[in-house]
Amino acid sequence: MTTTESSDEFTPTTSDEARDFLAENSAGAGRAIFPVGGRTALHYGYAPTQPGFAFSTLRLNRTIDYPARDMTITVEAGIRMDELTEILKAEGQRLPIDVPQSSRATLGGVLATNTSGPRRFGFGTMRDYLIGITSIDAAGKTFSAGGRVVKNVAGYDLCKLMIGSLGTLAVITQVTLKVIPQPEMSQLLWCAAADWQAVEVALENLLTSATRPVALEVLNAAAAHEIAAEARLDLPSSGPILCIGFEGAARETEWQAETMSVELEAAGICDVAVVADAESLWFALTDFATSSDEPLTFQANLRPSRLVEFSELATSAGVSLAAHAGNGIVIGHLPDEVTTLDAAVELLSPLQALAHEADGNLVIFDCDESWKQTIPVFGQARQDRALMQRIKQQLDPRDILNPGRVFTKNAMSAAQ
Amino acid sequence: MPETATISTIPAQALQALRRIVGETSVLSAHEQVLVYECDGFVIEKNTPDCVVFPETTEHVVAIVKLCNEYKIPFVPRGAGTSLAGGCLPVGGGVMIALTRMRGIHDVNLRDHYAVVGPGTVNVHLTQHLKGTGFHYAPDPSSQGACTIGGNVATNSGGPHTLKYGVTVNHVLGAEVVLPDGEVVQFGGYTEDNPGFDLTGLFVGSEGTFGVCTKVIVRLTRDPVAYRTMLGVFETVEDATQAISGIIGAGIVPAALELMDQGIIEAVEPAFHFGFPLDAGAVLLIEVDGLEVAVDGEAAQIVELCEQNNAREVRKADSPQQRDLLWKCRKKAFGAIGRLSPSYCTQDGVVPRTKLPEILKFITEASARHDIRIVNVFHAGDGNIHPILLFDERDAEQVKRVLLASDEILNRCIELGGSVTGEHGIGVEKINFMNKLFTEADLETMEAVRIAFNPTGLCSPQKMLPTAGACGMEHIEKSHPARRAAL
Ligand SMILES: Cc1cc2nc3c(=O)[nH]c(=O)nc-3n(C[C@H](O)[C@H](O)[C@H](O)COP(=O)(O)OP(=O)(O)OC[C@H]3O[C@@H](n4cnc5c(N)ncnc54)[C@H](O)[C@@H]3O)c2cc1C
Ligand SMILES: Cc1cc2nc3c(=O)[nH]c(=O)nc-3n(C[C@H](O)[C@H](O)[C@H](O)COP(=O)(O)OP(=O)(O)OC[C@H]3O[C@@H](n4cnc5c(N)ncnc54)[C@H](O)[C@@H]3O)c2cc1C
Repeated sequence: MTTTESSDEFTPTTSDEARDFLAENSAGAGRAIFPVGGRTALHYGYAPTQPGFAFSTLRLNRTIDYPARDMTITVEAGIRMDELTEILKAEGQRLPIDVPQSSRATLGGVLATNTSGPRRFGFGTMRDYLIGITSIDAAGKTFSAGGRVVKNVAGYDLCKLMIGSLGTLAVITQVTLKVIPQPEMSQLLWCAAADWQAVEVALENLLTSATRPVALEVLNAAAAHEIAAEARLDLPSSGPILCIGFEGAARETEWQAETMSVELEAAGICDVAVVADAESLWFALTDFATSSDEPLTFQANLRPSRLVEFSELATSAGVSLAAHAGNGIVIGHLPDEVTTLDAAVELLSPLQALAHEADGNLVIFDCDESWKQTIPVFGQARQDRALMQRIKQQLDPRDILNPGRVFTKNAMSAAQ
Repeated sequence: MPETATISTIPAQALQALRRIVGETSVLSAHEQVLVYECDGFVIEKNTPDCVVFPETTEHVVAIVKLCNEYKIPFVPRGAGTSLAGGCLPVGGGVMIALTRMRGIHDVNLRDHYAVVGPGTVNVHLTQHLKGTGFHYAPDPSSQGACTIGGNVATNSGGPHTLKYGVTVNHVLGAEVVLPDGEVVQFGGYTEDNPGFDLTGLFVGSEGTFGVCTKVIVRLTRDPVAYRTMLGVFETVEDATQAISGIIGAGIVPAALELMDQGIIEAVEPAFHFGFPLDAGAVLLIEVDGLEVAVDGEAAQIVELCEQNNAREVRKADSPQQRDLLWKCRKKAFGAIGRLSPSYCTQDGVVPRTKLPEILKFITEASARHDIRIVNVFHAGDGNIHPILLFDERDAEQVKRVLLASDEILNRCIELGGSVTGEHGIGVEKINFMNKLFTEADLETMEAVRIAFNPTGLCSPQKMLPTAGACGMEHIEKSHPARRAAL
C-alpha cells in the first residue's frame, strides 16, 4: 500500500488494494475519502467539510475485456478518456460522449459528473451506454450491478444511480460500456443568424427537417468568437451562431449538410459554412465547458422551447454561452467584470428565475468558494432531495465519501 | 365457492375505507371477481389478492397507499398484467392497485419532444395518438396492444426496435411516483439533467417495489423517413446466427433484427399466410431505417452478409403493406403459439451476441434431453433470446420438465457471460437466480437502496430480491405452498 501521509493521498494499483484501504479506514479512523480521477472537475459542488484522503483512481486503468464484435468493453474506471478513445478507435468503434480535457479526465470522473457535450443530441448521455458497474463503498464493500450484455433488467439499475453521484455513494472501479461504430464522416455547419429571432425560427423548422443532426449547438457572439479561435478557424462570429453536426456514411452526411443549407436558407439564414474537416471544431465546442479564469461557470437546464429567450437574456448581461439547443442545456461563463458576489447574484437572479420557470434549474460548475455560501450550487431544491439523502444515508451512513460536496447543511439551507 | 389458501389480511374496516376512497364499484373483493387477478402472463404460480382497487387519480393512489400503511397490508401495483415474470403476483395476498383506469394522454409537446401519460395508458394507444405528428414513442414491446406504459416503466420494457433506439429507460424523462409511504414525488421532469441522482433511471425497472407510478413523462423521437425491411431465409439456425454476428460485427446497427426458427414459422404461417418457407431452419426479420439516402446502402450490405452466411434467399418487403404483414407475423407470433400447444412458457435470457450460436445449440439439446418442444422467436440483435417451451399445464410431470429445462438454459446464459432476463424482469419467477448473477454484497447494496424507497417492505413484497419484504413472511410461507417449494 502506498499511502503518503504527507499529502494524504492514496493511489491503489489494484481494486483489492483499494477495497482493503477503504475497509481499514472504515474500521479505524473513518477519515473522509475524496475519490479523484483527472482532477478536472474537483471544483464542482461544495468544498469538503472535513480533511481526509484523496483517493486516486489513476492506476486503476486497465482494459479488462474488449470483445469488439459484441460491441462492449470492460475497463477500470481510472482510464483516461483519450486512452479509451484510442483503444476503441483501433476496432472502428467509439463511445459517443464528448468530454472536455479528455487527455486528463478519467472515465470514472466522467461518470461521477455525468459529463456530456454537443453529440448528446444525437447519441444521448452516459446513462445510455453504461451497462455494468463495479464500485467499492465507504466500508470497503465491493458491489456490482448490471452486467456485460447490452440488454439486461436483472436487479436494480445501480448504474443509473452512480452516474452523476459525484463520488458521494461509492468509488467506481470498473465499468462495462456499450459502444457504437465510428462514423465514416463527420461535418459541422456554422450558420450565422441575423438575430435571436432567426435562431428561434431555425430551431422550430428543425423539428420538421428532412435531416437528422447529431448536434445542435447555439452560441452567442462571445462564445462563437472564442470557439472559432480555439479551433483555429476563420468563421463569422458577430451575432448568434447555430452550429449543426452530421455524422454517418459519407453520402448520407454530405446529403444532410446540403439539404440543411437549403432548409436554412428558406428560413432566412444564408450565411452557412460547411466545416468538412471538423475535428478541431468538435473539440472546441466540447472544451467550451471548461472553466478557466472566468469568475463563474454555470449550466442551466430548461425546456428547449425557452432556450432562445434564456440565451438572449444571458447575452444581454454579458454572459458568454454555448447551448446544446436540442436538449435545453446552456453552459455560460460570467464576464470578467463580475468581480463581486453581489454582482454575480444580481446577474444570475433573473437567469435562475427563468430556468426555474422553464421547469429547469441552474447549477454552478465553478466559482469562488466563498460565493457558494450564498449562491446555491445545485440550484433550487427539488422534492426528491429527501429521498436522495435517504439513499446516501443507506450507502454511506457515516458520510465518509466526499463529505459536504453535495449534502451539506449549507447546501440545504441555501437551496431552500 | 372454493376457499383459497390465502389468509385474508384485510380487516373489514379497511375494505370499507377503500370503498370510500375510490367508490363502491371500484373495489373488487368477491372471490370470483379477484380470481381473474391470481396471476399475470406467468401462469406457473398463482395467488389471489384480497381485493383489487381501481384508482382514477394520484390522490386516490395516495389514500390507498396510506391506508395500506395504516393497516400494514401489503400492496402491489398492476398494469395490464402481461408480465411474464409474475411481477403482479400478490404474494401473500393484500391489495392490488390496478392502474388501468388511470389512462389518458395528458399532454403532447412536440417542440420540447415529450408526452405526459397516465400509467394505465396502453402503449399502442400512444403510438396511434402520435401518428401523423412526425414523432413516436420508441419502445414497442410485442405486447404493446395490451401492456401499459406504467408497466413498461416498471419493467424497463424492450421490444424489436430497441436494438437501435434503446429500451424504456432511454425514453423516460420523468415520472410522478407515490412512494410506499404515500408521499408523492416527481423524478426527472420536462427537462434533462436535473441536479442530483438519476432517480428516474433508478425507478425504471424497479418492478413495482419502489412505489406506484402515477404519471410518466416520455421522450418523443422523430419518425424515420425511410425503411427497408427484409426477410433472410436460412437452412439452419446456425447460419442465421452467424449472419447476425456478421451484420453487427460489420458495424451496422439495424433498427430491428429478429429471429424466428422453424418451430415458430410452423405456427405463424398457417395463421397469417405470408408465404414463409416451412422447410427453412430459421428466418431473420431485418429492418434498417433512417434517411432515404442511407437505407439502400445499408440494406445492400445486409443482403450481402446474409448471402455470405449461406442465406437461401433474402426477400424484401416492397410495399408498406408487405412490411406491415411481416411485422404482424412477428408481433403476433406468441398468439399463434396457441396453435401448437395448450400452455407455453417464454424464457428471457441474454448472451453476448457472438454467443448466440452456442446458446441456441444448447437449447436444442435441452429440448431433446427433457423431451419438451422448444420454439424460438427473439430479439437476436441484442442477444436477447426467448425460447418458448411448449407444454400442457395440467400435466404436473411436464411442468417439472419445463422448469428444469428453463433453469438449465438460464444457467447456461449466465455461464456464457449473460443474464437471466433482458426485458421481462425478475418478478417472482427468477428470484432464485439473483444470487447466481450477483454476490451477497451486490444484493445487500440493492437491498439498502430498496430500503431507502420502501423501508417497510409493504410495497410488492417478495419481488426482485431474494431478501425482499421483511414483513408478512410468515403469512407468505403459510399461504403460498408453491412459493415455499420454489424457495
Ligand atoms: C457540472 C460539470 C462541471 C464541469 N466543469 C468542468 C471544468 O470546469 N473543466 C473541465 O475540464 N471539465 C469540466 N467538466 C467535465 C468533466 O467533469 C470532466 O471532464 C470529467 O468528467 C472529470 O473527470 P476527472 O477524472 O477529471 O474527475 P475529477 O475532477 O477527478 O473528479 C470529479 C468528481 O468525480 C468524482 N470521481 C472521480 N472519479 C471517481 C470514481 N472513480 N468513482 C467515484 N467518483 C469519482 C470526484 O470525487 C469528483 O467529485 C464538468 C462537468 C460537469 C458535469
Ligand atoms: C405476448 C407477450 C409479448 C411480450 N413481449 C414483450 C417484449 O417484446 N418486450 C418486453 O419488454 N416485454 C414483453 N412482454 C412482457 C410484458 O408485456 C412487459 O413486461 C410489460 O411492460 C408489462 O406491462 P403491463 O402493463 O402488463 O404490466 P403488468 O404485467 O401489470 O406489471 C408488470 C410489473 O410492473 C409493475 N407495475 C405495473 N404498473 C405499475 C405502476 N404504474 N407503477 C409501479 N409498478 C407497476 C407490477 O407490479 C409488475 O411488477 C410480453 C408479454 C406478452 C404476454
